[in-house]
Amino acid sequence: MTRYIAGRLVESVVVLIVMSFVIYALIGLMPGDPIDLMIQSDPRLTPADAARLRAVYGLDKPLAERYLAWAAAALAGDFGNSRLYARPVLDVMPGFLLNTVNLMGLSFVISVAIAIPLGIYAALRQQRAADYVVNLACFAGISVPIFWLALMLIILFAVLIPILPASGVSSVGGGGFLDLARHLVLPVATLTIFSIGSYTRFMRAATIEVMRQDYIRTAFAKGASRGRVVMRHAFRNALVSVVTIVALSFGTLFSGALITETMFAYPGMGKLIFDSVMGNDFNMALVALLFATLVTLLANLGADIAYAWLDPRISYGGGGGRPR
Amino acid sequence: MSGLAQSPARAARAPRTVWGLLLRRMLGHRLAIGSLAFLLILSVLAILTPVIEGALGLDANSVALTMRFEGPSAAHLLGTDELGRDLLARLLYGGQVSLFVGIAAALASAVIGTLIGLPAGYYGGKFDAVLMRLTDGVIALPLLPLLIVLAALDLNKLGLPEAVVNDPNMSLYRIIVIIALVGWTTVARLVRGATLSLREREYVLAATAAGAGGLRIMAVHILPNVVSPIIVATTLSVGNVILLESVLSFLGLGIQPPIASWGNMLTGAQELIWNAPELAFYPGLLIFLTVIAFNFLGDGLQDALDPRAIEK
Amino acid sequence: MSAGSHAPAGPLLEVEGLVKHFRMGGGLFARHSGRIQAVNGVSFTLAAGETLALVGESGCGKTTAARTIARLYRPDAGSVRFQGRDLAGLRGRALKSARRALQMVFQDPFGSLNPRLPVGAIINEPLKIHGIGTRAERGERLARVMTQVGLNPRDAERYPHQFSGGQRQRIAIARALVLEPELIIADEPLSALDVSIQSQILNLLKDIQEDRGLAFLFITHDLAVVDHFADRVAVMYLGHIVETARREALFETPRHPYTRALIDAVPVPGGGKRRLGTATAGDVPSPAAPPPGCPFHPRCPRASETCRRTMPALEPRAEDPGHRVACHHPLEAPTGAGGAP
Repeated sequence: MTRYIAGRLVESVVVLIVMSFVIYALIGLMPGDPIDLMIQSDPRLTPADAARLRAVYGLDKPLAERYLAWAAAALAGDFGNSRLYARPVLDVMPGFLLNTVNLMGLSFVISVAIAIPLGIYAALRQQRAADYVVNLACFAGISVPIFWLALMLIILFAVLIPILPASGVSSVGGGGFLDLARHLVLPVATLTIFSIGSYTRFMRAATIEVMRQDYIRTAFAKGASRGRVVMRHAFRNALVSVVTIVALSFGTLFSGALITETMFAYPGMGKLIFDSVMGNDFNMALVALLFATLVTLLANLGADIAYAWLDPRISYGGGGGRPR
Repeated sequence: MSGLAQSPARAARAPRTVWGLLLRRMLGHRLAIGSLAFLLILSVLAILTPVIEGALGLDANSVALTMRFEGPSAAHLLGTDELGRDLLARLLYGGQVSLFVGIAAALASAVIGTLIGLPAGYYGGKFDAVLMRLTDGVIALPLLPLLIVLAALDLNKLGLPEAVVNDPNMSLYRIIVIIALVGWTTVARLVRGATLSLREREYVLAATAAGAGGLRIMAVHILPNVVSPIIVATTLSVGNVILLESVLSFLGLGIQPPIASWGNMLTGAQELIWNAPELAFYPGLLIFLTVIAFNFLGDGLQDALDPRAIEK
Repeated sequence: MSAGSHAPAGPLLEVEGLVKHFRMGGGLFARHSGRIQAVNGVSFTLAAGETLALVGESGCGKTTAARTIARLYRPDAGSVRFQGRDLAGLRGRALKSARRALQMVFQDPFGSLNPRLPVGAIINEPLKIHGIGTRAERGERLARVMTQVGLNPRDAERYPHQFSGGQRQRIAIARALVLEPELIIADEPLSALDVSIQSQILNLLKDIQEDRGLAFLFITHDLAVVDHFADRVAVMYLGHIVETARREALFETPRHPYTRALIDAVPVPGGGKRRLGTATAGDVPSPAAPPPGCPFHPRCPRASETCRRTMPALEPRAEDPGHRVACHHPLEAPTGAGGAP
């Protein structure tokens, strides 16, 4: 087991390093480079100046060298300055990160709190009206484009019935908890509706699968009441599958958060990524993307470990492959 | 199939082939059939858009700034958009694009996934281990941020010739390519798993004993028997692809105007919602309906092709 | 096509010390990572045109042996000399060309045919693989071989599921014949068929053998089939050959206690079994943990300390060099059934 975790950790680190190189290269392929931007803002720079500046900043060196220089600085803690915020990247990020944690965390908790009981309920009422309705709702949930959902919510609650703000994280000149809460309602609602469909489906499927198992039937045969069986056996075991699947959908949740933040001008990591990529803030974009990769990798790793830990019946055939 | 117990009368009517069985089960799945009908109608409309345009005397691209934000009228069945263009016509063109991109990218992903999964499963060993590490690595990446970066790349810097870069359909090809680049992993895993179990079948051994090489076995013996799960997975992925494309187009990174896509029709809709909320409504609604249709269809196919159910 | 045209220096097939093990379990949670010693030093020869039956209970490794000989698995040790060449060391094109003369028929008539191909394509595939003949020529060969196995050539466009079990086995046989091989390895081709069909297929195989002078390596656990078809017999137990002999010799004077037990267990028409002269107690041990010494000693009523410790070698009998036994205390009775050891 520890061998497995160690192996997966190593894998994740390798992927991270490879991705850091890939992202670095991709960012370099974005339109414009720092010197072009300088030229744009200062037309007096001649091509000769530009060439000289390039040499000074090492921008004319080959990709591998530039990457290694960046990596060396990064390992020492220096990730450069953000062009858009005129501050070191590491100063800018935490604020955005916190906002995203709020958004994702809140949505996640609410979605799961609704999805788990709803999924179990639907599983127990399989093939009956209630199940069909829930199923339909789930399909709708996973099919709706999140940005359209956001727009509809905005139209509904900020335009037609103007009770909630359509953007931002706090009102001008104001603050305070209630204000923050009001600003969070629509974004959280959007992200929650976005995720609830798939979580409910997973829970329903996992519960159905568990209920089919022989040991459940044995419990019924022994005379246990339905409720008891569900709560003691089905719930726990279905939860196992759900934990792993939910951890694996972290990437989707993050993507959802990215769109939500962009729609609502909510200053979180997602918006940061988008703005820095579109705004040619290379240092910022690089770090933000790398961070997103890191967190997604960790979530996947967590899922694998949780799965392995909770279900020791799995054997990994042929050299530590994934148990799926 | 010898396990089916049927009365003689029923046996006479029971479908003998796998396809017959499939059709019968799907007919029991009304949502799937309804979705199929919807999609077929949509496809026909999309293909016939130029004809419809001509018939109704519309032009999706004609800008008429004097007629902005008009409501539904005889001339414009759904009204006009912020540049005075007919909304219905643009929606139809958007449908063309979204369906085309959705299906093309899903197919491309399926092809790449199969090309990776088949040899991985068949040859096994270190080769398989490497490919699966690669697959796991790609799965573990944050999808949308990566797609955003890929969509924002400067094609000139990639070294593509000028003529290619400036092709008006470039945004179409590009989005199909980048979605395929990240979307192949599901099919790859699926195909690898199926191949691993199929390669122990006796007809595969028989082919080996007859002298068949790996390529022949994979193409003739394994692939045709893996096709149904691939079809299901691909159908289910089209919905996802359409969502991805519309998000990217919405962000301005996907299909570029003047090509209409349901996604880019919603770009900037945030400013418009104060004036004309219906402009934000229709394109999104169509995305929603199309995606849910593909999901129902895929779900129906999955149930119909489920080997466990067939045995019952 | 007859054996004379090749006239190899030695026998058609010469298997020597064949070993095939499988790794079991493995990974992090496996409690028994070990090896299944499926085939543990198997040796026998087969002459052109001859039928050798390889018999034994399930789990003794005969299918593995057959598949290893057909090079579906790579031998871990030993040699498989076919037409003078050692198949164990061949790869690529050399192996492919060697395969033309060695074909295989499998046990499961449902599983050995690709459900997605029409049977004509299935039968013809070996021709396509080796690039033999034009389209027209292949069509002719297809018709001929289908007729020979008792199928209607017009059914060539049909799919396997449209045929009965017996017919499917005929298709499999046709596929094995189409390359006009010298040797056919048949892995329990009758076991999955209805009893009434079994004799039909067996007779078909006999006719084919007479007609083409083919050699057969016939894997089976059914001694009645052996009696009808085999020239020589090799008895296998837990990955080892324990006795080989001509058919008559084996049935009349079996020398290995296991062989005797097998023969005694065959049901006799008229009810009941032949009186068991030798009782065998206990279950077949697992091939993952074979006992040391003679593999049969836990079940053998004649086992001694030597049997527990040393592996007996396959030795030819003095009175009949073609009859070889691997036993420290072979049966010495002059006649078989019912006699005391």
